[in-house]
Amino acid sequence: MQWFDALVQGVLLGGMYAQYALGMALMFGVMRIVNISHGDLVILLSLIGISMAMAWGLGPFTVLIILVPLGVFMGWLLQKAILNKVVGSDPLPSLIATFGLSIALQNLMLQIWSANSRSLPGEGIESRSIDIGGIYIGLLPVIVLVVATGLTWGLDLTLKRTRFGRALRAAAADVEAAAMTGINPRAVYALATAIAVGILGFAAVFQALRSTVAPADGAAQLIYAFEAVIIGGMGSVWGAFIGSMVLGISQGIGFRIDPGFGVLAGHIVFLIVLATRPQGLFGKA
Amino acid sequence: MSMTVISQAPVEPPAVTVRRQTPSGRIAMTLAVLGLIALAAMPWWASTGTIRSVLVLCCYIAVAQMWNLLAGYAGLVSVGQQAFMGAAGYALFVFAQTLGINPFVAVFLSLLVPAILAVPLYFLLHRLDGPYFSIGTWVVAEVFRLVASNLPLVNSGAGMSLRVMSQYSAFERNVAMSFLCALMLLVTLGGSYWLLRSRFGLALIAMRDNPVAAASQGVNVAKLRFLIYVAAAVGCGLAGAVYFMAQLRINPPSAFDPMWANVAIFIVMIGGIGSIEGVLIGSLIFFIADRWFGEYGATYFVVLGLMTLLVALYARTGIWGMISKRWDAPWFPIRRTLVDPDR
Amino acid sequence: MSAVLSTHGLVARYGDFQALYGVDTELHAGEAVALIGANGAGKSTFLRAIMGLLPVAREMVRLDGEPVGGTPTDRMVRKGIAIVPEGRRLFSGMSVEDNLRVAIDQAARMGAKGGWTLQRLHQLFPILAEKARTPVQSLSGGQQQMVAIGRALLCQPRVLLCDEISLGLAPKVIREIYAALPEIRAAGTAMIVVEQDVGLAKSASDRLYCMLEGRVTLTGNSAEVTREQIGEAYFGAGHAVV
Repeated sequence: MQWFDALVQGVLLGGMYAQYALGMALMFGVMRIVNISHGDLVILLSLIGISMAMAWGLGPFTVLIILVPLGVFMGWLLQKAILNKVVGSDPLPSLIATFGLSIALQNLMLQIWSANSRSLPGEGIESRSIDIGGIYIGLLPVIVLVVATGLTWGLDLTLKRTRFGRALRAAAADVEAAAMTGINPRAVYALATAIAVGILGFAAVFQALRSTVAPADGAAQLIYAFEAVIIGGMGSVWGAFIGSMVLGISQGIGFRIDPGFGVLAGHIVFLIVLATRPQGLFGKA
Repeated sequence: MSMTVISQAPVEPPAVTVRRQTPSGRIAMTLAVLGLIALAAMPWWASTGTIRSVLVLCCYIAVAQMWNLLAGYAGLVSVGQQAFMGAAGYALFVFAQTLGINPFVAVFLSLLVPAILAVPLYFLLHRLDGPYFSIGTWVVAEVFRLVASNLPLVNSGAGMSLRVMSQYSAFERNVAMSFLCALMLLVTLGGSYWLLRSRFGLALIAMRDNPVAAASQGVNVAKLRFLIYVAAAVGCGLAGAVYFMAQLRINPPSAFDPMWANVAIFIVMIGGIGSIEGVLIGSLIFFIADRWFGEYGATYFVVLGLMTLLVALYARTGIWGMISKRWDAPWFPIRRTLVDPDR
Repeated sequence: MSAVLSTHGLVARYGDFQALYGVDTELHAGEAVALIGANGAGKSTFLRAIMGLLPVAREMVRLDGEPVGGTPTDRMVRKGIAIVPEGRRLFSGMSVEDNLRVAIDQAARMGAKGGWTLQRLHQLFPILAEKARTPVQSLSGGQQQMVAIGRALLCQPRVLLCDEISLGLAPKVIREIYAALPEIRAAGTAMIVVEQDVGLAKSASDRLYCMLEGRVTLTGNSAEVTREQIGEAYFGAGHAVV
């Protein structure tokens, strides 16, 4: 029974990681860019949300309503000010630029919010749980999972069915040919990054609700997002979702074996997938 | 760059010689040799405090040059070289402290560990595409840190001390440290310079400029990348072993500190990627900045981060790139220049 | 009669390598012009330079007399120029219909008016209706070329640039594709057709330009230029006509 519980906790943890992984998969898919400050942006949004909640006594839902548009704006700004200048076939400039941004952001947050861990007051959501056949499942993780599923489904549908989705897939396949059909790649990129960071607005709220955040936590979130994307297989949003689940379950079971082994278990599963199925569980060979 | 079109075949080729050294290069080479001698002779002219500071500077230079080889020539942007520093550092402590091997022998023995680890790791990581390779190297460093934290052989999370060093007098230790510093620079900088001037050097430079074209010209890009990755692992391992020998203590967070990736990237990007001169300039700037502004902590790192960002956006060749655009006086010339003695 | 599209001393380079040396051309409304020349003569470079895919000076390319050189590619499309690129460059992983829809979407976004619809395209190339749901990478070369032409037409261009649309295709398929060109012209679209096959180029065009080493070496009415003239312009003076 406790193993089943670990599995359930792992799935719910996976819901959290999916919210990080979707944006990374989207940005890599269309621009071949990995934003090293991906995790730091989550933490930044979390800390802004916590400060607002403290100052004005806002509930988590209100914070979410503010953080998602703020994330969208930050993503748009990130693309316009930085990423549009470094997008290209050479991965070095974008890595270095976002690496520098990551260091600057982390230390800026350290200055503003100090190294202390904080969390978002959830008005009781974080402690409520549902009893299903003797297993207590926290209400919050269920919400996280439902939101993650909804975001994945929505993003998948957007890519498949909308004008923007087609333009984005076209730019991902061949950016020059996309421009030849009248697509402005920079506009598509800006929208993609805006969506990616907007999704991080959800992640920021849930991360701050279910545990604590501190300025240095971003690196771990970047790594989990990356592992989820690689495990699932690049190129599909459902791949990123499933990869997140696999990573969450691996960590959940690892934590149950030994608290010091949880994160390592996730890394090991990632390395095994890389060794045996480098295209990912759902990638095409 | 100039090209000559040879239209008539049966003409005697002009008696040209290949010039590979320049006046600026000769001066720099003399200074470099003198510098290495001064470095090895530190115990006779410098205080223990100075030796420790210089040792840290030498580690910066070594790690930065290894990153430069990886990112600047092989196109392998690693943010996880601290994995090999920590692995070699731990190996030194296990060999010298646990197994009782002479620490000055153990320093060299410990280099086997990063070399052996680098081989399977490369075959795993090279499957990752471009920027994903970078995050992959970081994951590896994290795995090493977590394994060390759970491994009783290295005293798990509590870390180890190098108590055997107390058998040696302070002077003896200073002699060893100074000698190792000089050797570390000779291996990493001298080794890189030798590599770049060798047959491989042309291939490396071709690869830096255009990997696809280099491959079509017969450069075995995959093999060269693999060799560079292993060499950089050993170079970083040497820096790690020397650094932690001087520290006398090692634990998982210090051994696999991502700070080393920050330092290497900052030094190479500010100094100028793809050149040894840039690494020297960048290391000196970082070393001085760290001493003067290190006390400002977070603010200092905000500035470093923003500078790295700005260099990536607006000045990708760094300081040395700007200098060499204006003055053609390389310290470590690697070009081959054709000279016609009749002119 | 003033030209729809014209180039004036067009110069283009790839890094250190200069590929075009002062190319003057013009294209009139409804006209079809062929651009012939050997491999490396600069034909594709010429089209890329017009499309804003290579840096060129503003005055070097004019559209309706207005200088447009170096305008970003997507804005050139908005101004009414579309290209069928060399090697087709379809969006792999997407279906035939989605490939075409990308162009329809953008034309609608820009409010471009023109007569090209999916139905009309299906009349021109019936196979595209049949294969609408097929991923483009599993089509034959000829079918892929039809998608590429269709995608360009759905941008509703006034000027269509075709880069080696016969390359690598079987003679029967080439005939099929070239048979569609008159209908495209009938819709009022002017065309520049880059073609290696001189016979094909002559029959599909009103006028032709021949390029050699980045320069125009011959221009004239397609029906009037002789094999000798073309041979000389194609290979440079002094070469025998094969």
